[in-house]
Parts: sequence; C-alpha cells; structure tokens
Amino acid sequence: MGMRVLFARSKLLVIGLAILLFLVLVALFQPLINKLLIGDIDPITMGSFDSYLDPSPQHWLGTDRWGRDWMAQLVLGLRYSLVIGALAGSVATLIGVIFGFIAGYKGGMVDSTLRTFTDMILVIPSWPILVTLAAYIRGLSIPTMALLLALFSWPWGMRAIRSQVLSLRSQPYVDLAKVSNLRDLEIIFTELVPNLLPYLGVSLASATVGAILAETGLELIGLGPGGDIITLGLMINFSLGWGALALGKVELVFPPVLCLILIFVSLNMINMGLEEAFNPRLKRVTGG
Amino acid sequence: MDQTLLEIRDMRIYYATTLGNYKVVDGVSFNVNVDEVLGIAGESGCGKSTLVEGLLRLIVPPGHIETGEVAAPLITDDETTNCDLLSLTEEEFRRVRWKEISYIPQGSMNSLNPVAKIEDQIVDTILAHSSFTRQQAKKHVSELLEVVGLSPEIARLYPHELSGGMKQRVIIAAAIALKPKLVIADEPTTALDVTIQKMVLQTLVRIKKQLNCTIIVVSHDMPVHAQISDRLVIMYAGKVMEIGPVNDIFGNPLHPYTQGLIATIPSITRERKRLRGIPGTSPSPSEWPSGCRFHPRCERVMEVCQQEEPKLREVSPGRFVACHLYL
Amino acid sequence: MKKRAILAYILKRILLYIFTIWGAFTIAFLFFHMVPGDPIAAYVRSMQQRGRTISGGENLGQEYRKMMGLDGPLYVQYLHYLENVVLRFNLGPSFIGFPTPAEKHIFLALPWTIGLLGIATLIAWILGFALGGLVGWKRDSPTSSLLTNLSLVISQIPPYFIALALLFIFAYTLLWLPRRGAFDAAIPKGFTWAFIKSVIRYGTLPALSLVIFALFGWVISTRSIVVSILGEDYLVYAKAKGLTGGKILRAYVLRNAMLPQVTGLALSLGFVLNGALLVEILFNYPGLGSLFRDAIGMLDYNTVQGIMLMSIVAVLTATLLIDLLLPLVDPRVAREGKT
Repeated sequence: MGMRVLFARSKLLVIGLAILLFLVLVALFQPLINKLLIGDIDPITMGSFDSYLDPSPQHWLGTDRWGRDWMAQLVLGLRYSLVIGALAGSVATLIGVIFGFIAGYKGGMVDSTLRTFTDMILVIPSWPILVTLAAYIRGLSIPTMALLLALFSWPWGMRAIRSQVLSLRSQPYVDLAKVSNLRDLEIIFTELVPNLLPYLGVSLASATVGAILAETGLELIGLGPGGDIITLGLMINFSLGWGALALGKVELVFPPVLCLILIFVSLNMINMGLEEAFNPRLKRVTGG
Repeated sequence: MDQTLLEIRDMRIYYATTLGNYKVVDGVSFNVNVDEVLGIAGESGCGKSTLVEGLLRLIVPPGHIETGEVAAPLITDDETTNCDLLSLTEEEFRRVRWKEISYIPQGSMNSLNPVAKIEDQIVDTILAHSSFTRQQAKKHVSELLEVVGLSPEIARLYPHELSGGMKQRVIIAAAIALKPKLVIADEPTTALDVTIQKMVLQTLVRIKKQLNCTIIVVSHDMPVHAQISDRLVIMYAGKVMEIGPVNDIFGNPLHPYTQGLIATIPSITRERKRLRGIPGTSPSPSEWPSGCRFHPRCERVMEVCQQEEPKLREVSPGRFVACHLYL
Repeated sequence: MKKRAILAYILKRILLYIFTIWGAFTIAFLFFHMVPGDPIAAYVRSMQQRGRTISGGENLGQEYRKMMGLDGPLYVQYLHYLENVVLRFNLGPSFIGFPTPAEKHIFLALPWTIGLLGIATLIAWILGFALGGLVGWKRDSPTSSLLTNLSLVISQIPPYFIALALLFIFAYTLLWLPRRGAFDAAIPKGFTWAFIKSVIRYGTLPALSLVIFALFGWVISTRSIVVSILGEDYLVYAKAKGLTGGKILRAYVLRNAMLPQVTGLALSLGFVLNGALLVEILFNYPGLGSLFRDAIGMLDYNTVQGIMLMSIVAVLTATLLIDLLLPLVDPRVAREGKT
C-alpha cells in the first residue's frame, strides 16, 4: 500500500506512525544519544554530576537529586518503557487474538461465554489487582512484568478481532470457500487473515496503550521492575518523591509525563487511523 | 377543469462524490393535480425516490438540489413571499411540513423512533403544527389508528412490539393526522408480503376518499399503479419518458420503455405468453447515455436517438411522451 | 407481559451479580494461595528490613497464620474464607493499625472514595453527554471541530497526569487551592458549613482531574453515537414531520444516544476507579487509594486483599445499579438481550 494512498485515506494514521517512529528511533539510538549528551557516563550512575543543576546546554533538563543527567535518563526511560510496553502489548495481543478468533469463528455458546468473560475483565478495576499481584510476587523481572501487564490488556484487542472475524465469517467468499471444500484452517489462512491484518494493528495499538498505562500505574506506586531498569513512570515517581513540584523543578516532573502522553497519543492516532483507513463506511460517503 | 396542486419545473438533483457527479434527477417537469392519485413509475435507480425526497426537501449532502422550482400556490400561505416550495426558508417550509404535505417513506419499518411510544410520535407532530392540547391530540391519535384498522391500545406500545404490517399502518395513520393536502407514499408496498400489500393499498384508497387529498405514489411495481393511480408519470434515467391517465398508459403505451414495462406484467386472465424483460441493464447516474437515455436498450432505436435528446411533448390532451418516434 | 419481562431481566442481572462477586472472591482466594511467595514470610521480612525484630520467630509466624486462617488444607482455608470474608467481610486484623480489623480502615476510607468518584463521574457524564450531543448535532461548525479535536487529545491523558498539571498550576504556582488532604484539619469535623466548605475546597483539584479526563472522553463517544444516529431513517422521518430542531435533538437524537452511553458508563467504572485511586494517592486523599498505598508499603495482607475485593465489589455494585436502571432508559432492554 503506497504511502500517498495511505495518507489520503487517513492523515491520522500517518501522523501517528510518524510520531511513534520518531520515539522508536530515539529509543533505538539511545546509546548514541547518551554519548552525545553525557559522553561515556552511564546515565543511572549516581554522583556523576552535581545535584539539582538547572537546565543548561550541558544538561538539557538539568540533573536530579542524585546528580544524574535527567535528559539522558529520559531517553533511557523512554527506551525501557517502550520495550516493556511492546512486549506486554504483543503478549496481550496474542492472547486477545486467540480468544477473539475462537469467539468470532465458533460463535454460539463459546462466543457468549468468552464475551462475558472478557467483559468481566474489562469491568473489574485492574489497578488494585495488578498492584497486589506485583507486590506479592517476589522479583519482578521484565518478562514477568510483561505477562502481568498483559493480563488486563488483552480484552481491548480481543474485541476488535472478534467483531471483524464475525463480520468476515458471513462474507460470501468465505461461504464460497466452504462450499469448495477447503478445510477450516485453509479458510482461515487464505481468506480471513489478510483481512484481519489492520485489525491486528488496532489490537496491538490498543493493547500496548493498555499495557503502558498499567505499567505506569504500577511504577507510580513504586512497584516497577526495579534494579537498574528505569522507566518513564519510575522517573515521575522519583521526581515527585523528591518534592520536585515544591522545589519548582518542573523539568524533572513533566518531561517524562509529556513523553508518555506522546506515546499514548501516537498509538491512539494509529488506532483511529487504522479504523479510518480500512473501514471506509466510517468516513467517506460516496452518495448515489 | 383540474386544478394544479404542484407545478414541478426542471428539477435537478445531483450528488457530488469523489467518483464524479451523479445526476440522479436530471430535468424533471410535470404537474400534480388536486385530488388525484399520481403514480410515478420506473425501475430502481431511475430517480423517482430521489425526486420526491427533493420535493420534501429531505436531500442531504453529498446530494443537493441543483435547480428546480415547485410552484404550489394552494399550499403556501399568503404570508410567504413566493409560492415556490424550494425557495421557502427552512422555517417557512417546516410549517408546511406534515400539515400540508405528509410522507410515507420507503421502508417505513425503520422510520419510527425506537425509544418513543407510538402515541408520542404522532402527538408530537400534531402539537407542532396545531393548537391542540395534549389530551386532544391523544384522542385524535386513537381515532387515526382506528381509521387504519388498528386497535387504539397500540398507541402505548413501542415500535419493537409491533409487526411490520402494523408499523406500516401506523405510518399511514401518522401521515393523515393533520389532514394534509398532499400525501407522498414512496414504495408503500415494497418489502411487504402480499396480504399486507393489499391491505396497505386498500387503506390508501380509503383515506383518499375520506380526506379528499392528493396522493403521489412512487412504485416500481406496475400492478400497484394499475390498482390505485389515476395518472402515471414514467421515469427513466433521471428524466420523464411518458405521462398520461393510467388506463391510457396500460392500454396504449407510447414510449418503447413503457411498452417494455407493461410487457413485464404477467397476466392471469389473458393467454399465457412468454414474459419479455427489457434487454440490457440500467445505466449509471454518473454516465448517462447520450441523446435519448433509453437508446442503448430500445428496440426501435433510430440514428437521431443517439445524437439528440427528445423533448417531452404533449401528443394529445394530457398525454405526454419524450420519444423521437412521436416528434 | 411487559412486567414479567422486566422482572426476569432484574432477576437475571442480580443473579449474575452474585455469581460474579462469588467468582471474583474465589479467584482472589486462589491467586493468593498460588502466588509464589508467602505473605507472612514477606511481612516478617519487611519488618526485619525496617530494623525491627520479631520475637518468637517461627512460632509467631504460625500464630499469625492461624489467626488469619492461613493454615490447614486448602479447602479448610476456603471454607474459612467463605464464612468470614465473603459473607461478613471479616478480613482479620490489619498490620497498618494492628489490631484494628482491616475492614474498619476500609469502611472509614470508602465514603471518601465513593464521594469523590461518584460526584466526579456524574458531573463528567452529564456534561460530556450534553456537550457531545451538541457537537455531534452541529458538527459542521468550526467550534465543533475545535472542541472535537481538543477532546480527542485531552481524553487520552490519564487523570493522574491531569492531576499533576492542575496540582502544579493551582496548588504550587497560583496557591489557590490546597495540595493534599480532604479537608482542613483545623476545622472540627461535622456537618457545619465551614467543614463542608473545606471539604469542597480540598476536593476540588482531585475531582477536577477526574472530571476533565472523563468529560472529554464522553464528548467524543457521544458525538460519534450522535453522528451515527443522524444517518438513521427515523431522523429523516422526524424532519419530514416538521418538528423543530430542538425537539428532534431532545426526543429523537439524545434519547436514542442514552442507552449506549449509560451502558458505556457502567463499563467505564473499573477504569475510572483505577484513575481515582492513583489521584487519591497523589493528593493524599483519605480514600481507598491512600489506604492501599500504606497497606502495600507494609505488605498488610488483610488490608490489601480487602481493598482489592472492595474495589471489585464497589464497581460491580455500581454496574448492577446502572443495569437495573437501563429499562427506564430504553424500552428495548427488557427484551431478550440488548439491541
């Protein structure tokens, strides 16, 4: 699908992708950027610089309480946040797609049960449960955390896939395939999957947003993966803990906030953009 | 001498889309006489539904009324500055709506508000256009329901509790609530089973007698026109092909297209003969054929048909046809 | 006949409610008994980390276990759990205020959370619905486009971040509103005007964060529902009937938009509670959020579990109440399933 066609179909999608791409590139080139910012110093090493320095050309966001360059940490935190989010989002999407597919394809009782189950997960407040689990599981490694986050993010993706499978299932070409005796699996791969790809994108975007939200929620109460891993949520937690607001050091608090908002906005734009681009009934009216 | 209720002049309704300009109604002119049942016939896509939607000013973007004039001096107040329905202001036309011109839309099933009781949906219109009190309006609704053969108790029900036929009758009852001068029925029998179709037509005939109103019936179903229409306007590809009294049209169709339409009606009484359809397919509004729009499918096509569009001509009193065979 | 359908609907919902609560409690029970890591040992560890020693060592651990019903085979523990926690919400002693029972802390904190959340959600929904309806109705005006785009952006910002911004602007910079707490500690509690005024004053920023976040979300969703309703046949018919614009908006458009939006409200409550708890922590608001933070900090097993369960119960109950109101909003609901 050519870029220009995509752009014509949905500006939202392209802008969202552009922002996300920018963020991903920054995360990817973190080591390089770090070198440009502070040379060979590890951004999380304490005491590298003086504490609470004001923003300057040497330290774009100044330094924090422990004398660490905040900008360098921002880039590092972006990287970890994206990694964890992407991982959790992928796991969540995988679970969601499987459930959504089964529900949409099989229909009937299976569908009803799965739907009720999914709705239940969506209704229940996830944060207290996540926090409780995180607090009691000893040693939160990144994979464990990703799994935990995926636990409540998968329903968002499941619904998108399920509704698309449902509508595709009754399309004439699927019936045609059934009539021509293709086996179930063949039908799935040749007919349904290509049409599901945009919805896969929607699932992934929604699940990732959910995962990063959950992740931030955990870190704001100090329950992150800990260790040397620093994420955007953790940065906010730290800065508030140091009383940065009272000290007037907003450059410590708001940049990670803005970064997270940027991630959410870009993912949501991709979400909405995908729906716009691939669900023509929504936007364009061709009259007649 | 018949009085004229509506004088429709050069109605053009276009749809501007990314794929081009759809000229769905492309220069339609005819009169509607007081107290008659005027049928508008033609196959799907000829623009007849769009035409009446235009008359009712219900066209929404991307469609718009390109040009046109609908002179209706008997309908417009003396207060309005002119008698062209299309150039009244929104508010002026709103006052005309329902009180003078009511509507039985195509697919009436979905025209009822799902979250309001039947009664309220008719009462609100009555209250909007008259000085009835709510009590009086409710009583009137009961009477209306009886006229169309429904029990007044259904007034307190919700649309989803009624069957398709019942909903259709509610729509008809609503249409006559304010005793309008004109009732426009768009495909009143489509998508209904045969017994209900008959009931709907009988109801329409009955209300016409009781109210002495004018009815415009739009239908692609020729037998419907045979049963209730007095005069017929045949449309094809956004234009008028033939106009005349219904018996004349059925007995002596002039335009080749009309002849084709009549020939598609199976007859129970006369000898069995092979049904002939009209060869070819309907053209698309984005690209009407040149000259006479029917020429690609016409059996009696001549060279001039492809080059020049035939004008609608009165070949005998009240009888109009747009065909080079008669020019 | 209609009455019976509505009664059946109510019964079905209540049964589903009871079943879900039982299910949630049971799953919680299973989770905590299958989670790697022993809460008692964790507590002892955390105590030791704080430099306090536990005299009695192993025995004390055993004592705690027995006290909290954590000893014995699984099914015995489950029965104990059912009897105490599920039926009577008897959670056992808390750690944060030993030996005060955990549920006491929870019931003290609960009204603050419900008050904050309830008021904020209601205001946000009503305003958002009305605004979204207007924006959808007049969607070609430049004001509508502006409002829509604004709402799109703001509705994606989690309430915690909105709270941070508000906190910074109003509490730290402009010094108009207080930074933390639910009321002025200097004023004696009670239903006096002074106290109520202080509660309102202290609650403004937390409530505002929640309202701003939710409001713009409702504007967006209401707007899109209204836009789709505008394409429906019965809207065309309403116009053909010559009804005034205002009447059509109220009786035809908004009334049809209500069902999906009220349903949406019920579905959003879990999400809103998440945000509310975090906002409470930021403002040190004495609701479940702050209690939770304290309990987690001390690994107070009973309180943590209790808050978790209470959150679920609160959301499910509110959802049930809204579900029971649905037939009033849309007459089609009492039929088999929703439309």
